[in-house]
Amino acid sequence: MYHEQKAGSGAGVAYNCGDCGSEVLLRPGDVIICRECGYRILYKKRTKQVVQFEAR
Amino acid sequence: MGAAVKDSSSKKTSGKSRRSDVGGDTDAMGCLTRDPSKVTSPIGTLEDKFELLPAFLKVRGLVRQHIDSFNYLVNEEIKKIVRAKANERVTCDSDPNFYLKYTNIHVGRPSVEEDYVVEEITPQQCRLRDMTYAAPITVDVEYTRGKEIVTRQQKNGVGGIVIGRIPLMLRSSRCVLTGKNEEELARLGECPLDPGGYFIVKGVEKVILIQEQLSKNRIIIDVDNKGEIGASVTSSTHERKSKTNIVVKHGKLYLRHNTFADDISIMIVLKAMGMESDQEAVHMIGSDPTYAMLLAPTLQECHASGIFTMQQALEYCASKVRVVKMQSPRTQIGGARTYGRSRIDEARDILAGVVLAHVPVVAYDFRQKCAYISIMVRRILNALLDPTQVDDKDYYGNKRLELAGQLIALLFEDCFKRLNADLKRQADAVLSKANRATQFDILKCIRQDTLSNGLEHAISSGNWTVKRFRMERKGVTQVLSRLSFISALGMMTRITSQFEKTRKVSGPRALQPSQWGMLCPSDTPEGESCGLVKNLALMTHVTTDDEEEPLRRLAHALGVEPLTWLNAGEMHSPQGAHVLMNGSLLGVHAQPEAFAHAFRKLRRAGRVGEFVSVYAADGCVYISSDGGRVCRPLIIIERGEPLLTQEHLEELKDGHRTFTDFLREGLVEYLDVNEENDSYIALYEDEMNEETTHLEIEPFTLLGVCAGIIPYPHHNQSPRNTYQCAMGKQAMGNIAFNQLNRMDTLMYLLVYPQKPIVKTKTIELIGYDRLGAGQNATIAVMSYSGYDIEDAIVMNRASLDRGFGRCTVLRKYSTQVKKYSNRTMDRIIGPKEDQRANENGRYHLLDGDGIAAVGGRIKPGDIYVNKQSPINTRDPMANPHGMPDTMYRSNPLSYKGPPGETAIVDKVLLTMTDEGQFNIKTLVRQTRRPEVGDKFSSRHGQKGVCGVILDQEDFPFSERGITPDLIMNPHGFPSRMTVGKMIELLGGKAGLENGRFHDGTAFAGDSVEAIQQTLVEAGFSHKGKDMLHCGITGEALEVNVFMGPVYYQKLKHMVQDKMHARARGPRVVLTRQPTEGRARDGGLRLGEMERDCLIGYGASQLILERLMISSDQFEAQVCTKCGLLGFQHHITGKNACTLCKTEAEVATLKLPYAAKLLFQELQSCNIAPRINLAEA
Repeated sequence: MYHEQKAGSGAGVAYNCGDCGSEVLLRPGDVIICRECGYRILYKKRTKQVVQFEAR
Repeated sequence: MGAAVKDSSSKKTSGKSRRSDVGGDTDAMGCLTRDPSKVTSPIGTLEDKFELLPAFLKVRGLVRQHIDSFNYLVNEEIKKIVRAKANERVTCDSDPNFYLKYTNIHVGRPSVEEDYVVEEITPQQCRLRDMTYAAPITVDVEYTRGKEIVTRQQKNGVGGIVIGRIPLMLRSSRCVLTGKNEEELARLGECPLDPGGYFIVKGVEKVILIQEQLSKNRIIIDVDNKGEIGASVTSSTHERKSKTNIVVKHGKLYLRHNTFADDISIMIVLKAMGMESDQEAVHMIGSDPTYAMLLAPTLQECHASGIFTMQQALEYCASKVRVVKMQSPRTQIGGARTYGRSRIDEARDILAGVVLAHVPVVAYDFRQKCAYISIMVRRILNALLDPTQVDDKDYYGNKRLELAGQLIALLFEDCFKRLNADLKRQADAVLSKANRATQFDILKCIRQDTLSNGLEHAISSGNWTVKRFRMERKGVTQVLSRLSFISALGMMTRITSQFEKTRKVSGPRALQPSQWGMLCPSDTPEGESCGLVKNLALMTHVTTDDEEEPLRRLAHALGVEPLTWLNAGEMHSPQGAHVLMNGSLLGVHAQPEAFAHAFRKLRRAGRVGEFVSVYAADGCVYISSDGGRVCRPLIIIERGEPLLTQEHLEELKDGHRTFTDFLREGLVEYLDVNEENDSYIALYEDEMNEETTHLEIEPFTLLGVCAGIIPYPHHNQSPRNTYQCAMGKQAMGNIAFNQLNRMDTLMYLLVYPQKPIVKTKTIELIGYDRLGAGQNATIAVMSYSGYDIEDAIVMNRASLDRGFGRCTVLRKYSTQVKKYSNRTMDRIIGPKEDQRANENGRYHLLDGDGIAAVGGRIKPGDIYVNKQSPINTRDPMANPHGMPDTMYRSNPLSYKGPPGETAIVDKVLLTMTDEGQFNIKTLVRQTRRPEVGDKFSSRHGQKGVCGVILDQEDFPFSERGITPDLIMNPHGFPSRMTVGKMIELLGGKAGLENGRFHDGTAFAGDSVEAIQQTLVEAGFSHKGKDMLHCGITGEALEVNVFMGPVYYQKLKHMVQDKMHARARGPRVVLTRQPTEGRARDGGLRLGEMERDCLIGYGASQLILERLMISSDQFEAQVCTKCGLLGFQHHITGKNACTLCKTEAEVATLKLPYAAKLLFQELQSCNIAPRINLAEA
């Protein structure tokens, strides 16, 4: 379902299962399902980039 | 409970002596053995009688009425529907041997079939995946396949035939949440405080609102708009619904019914029903000469028309039958109609089955129906003699509440009938053919969609259409409002009335005394639906249907003489009374009071359903077991003493007993409105006497959930409580324990919600102290800075820095990745390297999967899902999954928000619905601190906006160094009379000192004296006033200032969502005028009233500028010869008129584009608007 325009990270993107929390690697066109527990809700992982907040 | 504690020692002894003889049958013995002096001994009070309430709510829950009604549907009613004569068998016209018979029906556990695997589902899963929380309906069947008879039965939950799915109510008996404790609920992702009682359809929480209606199958004596008295009955059975009227016209009685074109004299009707003797008829109505006198004109008219026999009367009725418009030709030919049925038979059938349809007529024995009509007539005559006998339509005993179960039952039966008709049609079609390749198996024809979609569509759209009953209702369901916990709870108790809103009469809107304790007197909206939308009180329960047959047998066993035993004259003996059950006549009893008493005894002993009500009134005993009556529990009193004793309450506290035990032992019982009217209820213990029959559990339960939040509501002016009921639903706070796992379209959460210092008992009962929606702010009631006029509030900047009023706004954006019919589909692609590299570009937030990074900062215009759609979605494609980039159109989703404000991507969820639809939900979070213009309110209908935010150093301070969080203008008090707010402030201030949550429960609560005592002990003034110093000058203020904590709510109306300004901007294509509304960056309209002002003032140039130059000015060419619009050549730039073929006489002028448009539209209608130019 996701098409990488360049074969940069062809390994897919990692998501977390909403039930068991295990990591699921999804490539474009994959079915949305946890391979461990069969749960069909996946959450995207938090970004590794630094996010700066302004305290006010 | 301040005043209640009195003489508890004497009470305890009395309690002990009574304990032995508590309950049911031993009571009579107790009456003989007990010390008679007890009756006059001082009455003890029940300490902690309030403890009954949590016990009550524990067994009942807050929305039991919804859940009970749905459970009744799922467990019983659905079986009744399937076993009904009309639904049980499917037969076919072409093969007489064929049949399909339903032997049973079950509703299973919530589940969904995915990839041919049945999986259990939880409500939270359904919310997140946009699915319907539904359970399969299975049936046991017996049917013919070829020559053999096949039976299919469900055993241990397998083997039944699935006919569809029914959406399940949360916390109903089939829901996975029932009977779970808090921990188990948390594991399912569910909030333990969530009341349930709603449905989840396609991921949306839907509530079926309680509908209020006039009672069915009851006689209502009414005065019509001509001032004539009449009796009307809306009969409702499973098959039919009809309204029958008996009216008085010129002193004569007539039957009026839809099926008859004309009114028919009541005597003719009785004759047609077989009561040919006038004497018998008069006897049945009443032997008293006054009745006979009133009936004389009717009798004479019947006599004059020459109708004496049943045959004549039926002929007369037949002549009045309204000719039904041609039905479908099939029924005309195929139905029983043509087989020798005369018009007389038809008239008789109408009288038997349609007129007063709820009174059964077996084998054309009309005796029951005659008796019923005579009772109607008798009541009309009574009302003629004594106008007070006219019924009050607004009396709540005459109302029934329709709940989710009943509404879904209607729909289910309709869908089920459609399914059966469908099966029959298919069987007809297949079996009529002579030879078939395969054997016909009806089970293969069952389509599950009929039921599943029928129910799902109705609940999700709120349109209830049942053709059989000509019922078409809109807006039956509403999306459950999750603005705050209270708003969700408040929605579950809401009642809408079927009255049209335009009617000017105040009757249905007014508060009716019979609503006491049943409906909340405060909680109703303002404006057009004021008084029509109501809310249940805290303890109100709505009944479900109870089996009639055992009650009927019991009534006869208790001495009710059936009608068949009596002749007409014996029906009305002076002491005896008619016994009516659910509106139909059962018979006559000689001692009505004793009968009612015995019946109640049996109910208290648990032999009769707890919700069956009995009451005796004006010569009738009414037994009601029908559903939809409102009722509430009360403590039973016998001989001036409550049966419930202190010991019972202590056992309750220790957990040895529950509320249900009390109910079973006959210490507490439910009364409906009608029976309440037949009882003598004491509000407090000291008001009890010999005649008292019941004692109120707690007076504050007469308020509903929304009004229960208000501390000291009995000290407030009543509309203020109503305002707070509306505002509590807009307050931000915690929604549920699972709020951060929810993906709602819009969610307002308070960052640091608090428990109110001044609580009420209701707050503890509903869990508002665990899911609060506000903060305890220290307020000073004084004027400061001038930015506090008109209810504005001065706020302390330091308080805001510490988190006062800080909220998070979470908004969901969801997208579907669609699949198209030519097997192409949308795709989501990562950004190109150069796109992503640009930090300020629209693509900077996207990860490799083309979806925004979680935790990233999002600006208006940023793309969060980089979606592309195929250009061609119709024609077949060679390689639908590997199409080149050129075949896709970019279709990205970009974030729209106020410019300059950023937000954070909080969460991204990927999922599939049960239909295989791929969904991406993005949750965007924004944290806001209060700003000038944000709306706040206390719990007393005192709202205000933030007027100015001052630094703490400019704020007044007390000797203890306390500065208030906000300053409220004292002008808010005198006209609003919210004394409750002042007491809350005192109570809160005292609570801070002694570390106690104070009680502000309605009609009770901590007394002002006690609070003042605490204040004085803590060194404060008893008035709650403090000496303050001015923060700016440092001088002591001239007066002492009333200061202390008050629970403040932040309301959802915030400046950031509303502020709007525009200089230039988008315009509507058609009219070229500025767009409308903030969402479209619209202009600010100078409306007609503003225009009127400018006209009145004479500012013509300003009008011209506002209405044309700044709006839709247009340069048009007008021909001076013909007056029509011309044009300007786009190359030569010369003006021309098409009609006159001239260039010389065309003038240019400015006019609004809308005017030019109008002229052209008129031309298209063949009207020529011509412009005459004075100068050109």
